[in-house]
Amino acid sequence: MTEARGEVYDLGYQRYDGPREGRARARRAIFENGVRTVLGLGRGPRAKIMPVLLFVGAMAPAFVFVIILSVAGPLAGFLPGPADYYQVVSIIMILFAAIMAPELLCPDRRDNVIHLYLVRPLTPTDYVLGRFLAFFVIVLVLAYSGQIVLQLGLVLTASNPMDYLRDNWLDIPRFLVAGVLFAAFIAVVPLAVAALTTRRAVAAAFVIGLFLITSAVAGGLTEDAHCHDEEGALAPCTPGEGGAVTGDAAKWFALISFGDVPIRVNDMIFDRENESATARAAAELPDVIPIGVYLLFTIGSGFVLWWRYQRIRV
Amino acid sequence: MPPLLEARDLSKHYGQTIALESVSFEVHEGVTGLLGPNGAGKSTAIKLFLGLIRPTSGSAEVMGERPYESVESRARLGYMPETETLSSNMNASEFLMHMAQVSGLPPSHARTRAADILRHVGLDEERYRPIGQYSTGMKQRVKLAQALVHDPVLVLLDEPTAGLDPGGREEMLDLIRRTAHTFGISMLLSTHLMGDIERIADRVILLEGGHVAEQGELSQFTKETTDLLIEVDDHREEVAAALAKRGVTVVADGSLLVAQDASDADYDVIRDVIAESGARLRRLSPRRHRLSEIFLGPES
Repeated sequence: MTEARGEVYDLGYQRYDGPREGRARARRAIFENGVRTVLGLGRGPRAKIMPVLLFVGAMAPAFVFVIILSVAGPLAGFLPGPADYYQVVSIIMILFAAIMAPELLCPDRRDNVIHLYLVRPLTPTDYVLGRFLAFFVIVLVLAYSGQIVLQLGLVLTASNPMDYLRDNWLDIPRFLVAGVLFAAFIAVVPLAVAALTTRRAVAAAFVIGLFLITSAVAGGLTEDAHCHDEEGALAPCTPGEGGAVTGDAAKWFALISFGDVPIRVNDMIFDRENESATARAAAELPDVIPIGVYLLFTIGSGFVLWWRYQRIRV
Repeated sequence: MPPLLEARDLSKHYGQTIALESVSFEVHEGVTGLLGPNGAGKSTAIKLFLGLIRPTSGSAEVMGERPYESVESRARLGYMPETETLSSNMNASEFLMHMAQVSGLPPSHARTRAADILRHVGLDEERYRPIGQYSTGMKQRVKLAQALVHDPVLVLLDEPTAGLDPGGREEMLDLIRRTAHTFGISMLLSTHLMGDIERIADRVILLEGGHVAEQGELSQFTKETTDLLIEVDDHREEVAAALAKRGVTVVADGSLLVAQDASDADYDVIRDVIAESGARLRRLSPRRHRLSEIFLGPES
């Protein structure tokens, strides 16, 4: 019988001779870590509260509409449809982006972790792109999820689902394209703001303020005035009738509302008539102007984000 | 063996300010100390080797590549900064795993590496605690760990003992020396503390005002002197008096006696005096030069 013998090895430090995937892996790690950070994965329950609440808030309208559709059936024609959906959820989406975008960027600069990233096989552009893509994908999934729930609800509650699909199939490519443009804008503006401060609360408050104040200012400057019905009582103005308090310049003031920028592009894609005062004022401008404003704000914010990280010195 | 780092006529100017002016040096395997006062150009040299800034003229090469032309060369470098650079919300295990991936390691390997390195730096037990709850010494270990997690060829250490108490400093220096000498990871240790260099470096490069003032093997700067260090457990004053009586010039240096400019005959005198006094001899050895005597003058 052989004697049982055990040996204890102190492995200590081990050299590594496994695969090295270089810059591609580094970029992917920044992206994946960004997704996990926004969703609070790998962290305590408290880190998950806010993303879960905001996710539920962003999805809730779609579920509510579907429930109403299933109960009221065709009578629910007054409900917002796919063309209106991004506008309906825009407030909660902006809130989501304002609160979560700073989580992605501010702690890395506040704790100087960015210094450790930039001495690895990674450029500042790689870092910014990875963080943007992580946030963009989450916002896009959130936007699409609501639309998909709504589309399914509309199809399944229709008296003839195939007829509904045949008549409304164009909504699908429209919401896909509009969703990309909506998510790009909603993601990049708060990230650009977060790139300028290390304090998350300041960034979040600034973004919320930016959307609220520009919306209020644009609303105030484009509000219709002096419109009356046939009996002479005050009544909502129709396009071309009456005039805003700022006169002909109202259509230009309408452009400064940050929250309306992606919605105007959405309206063009869906060929939707928007009844808000700023939308009606902006509708007087050639289509190229709101598109140009969208591109200016989106690309401009992207440039600020990129530029800020080129200036970081380790 | 080609150098790991090579500076050739390397200059870096910030407007009118000259950070480095035409310096040339090489860093080979082992531990090299980059010594100099604040503003000597140490940090600028490190940034140039990390590819974070471009030289005004000359070149800074890492294993034959210019890091400011391709970030890929950083994949085999580690860097431990002086400043706080750790994510306070993450735990050490998750943080190291992420840093290993950002250095190019696939996730499954990154997980193993993170565990190995945390064991190596003595944080195995604490790996699931948020880093924000760590002591200064533990944070320094995490900083060293993140510099080692991808198994670099060379690690650049910027003031690794900054902010540590004497015990923590000893432990950190011991950890660095062990990592370098036992596991063959080369180190470039940038510091203004000569004691740190004396403890662990094989070679030293002294920067002053953006120029290389001295460079060479550490032993070259810490050659033996003709002074003899005598350490006895007891009868110290008696030994000193007896040696003086026999013509040996002796001065006290802390708990030691130093026989100045000792000849071969003085060894015999010292032996006899110690034997006669009954003192217990702990050490009798030639004194070595200290870096501070060379770089700051004997008065230091």
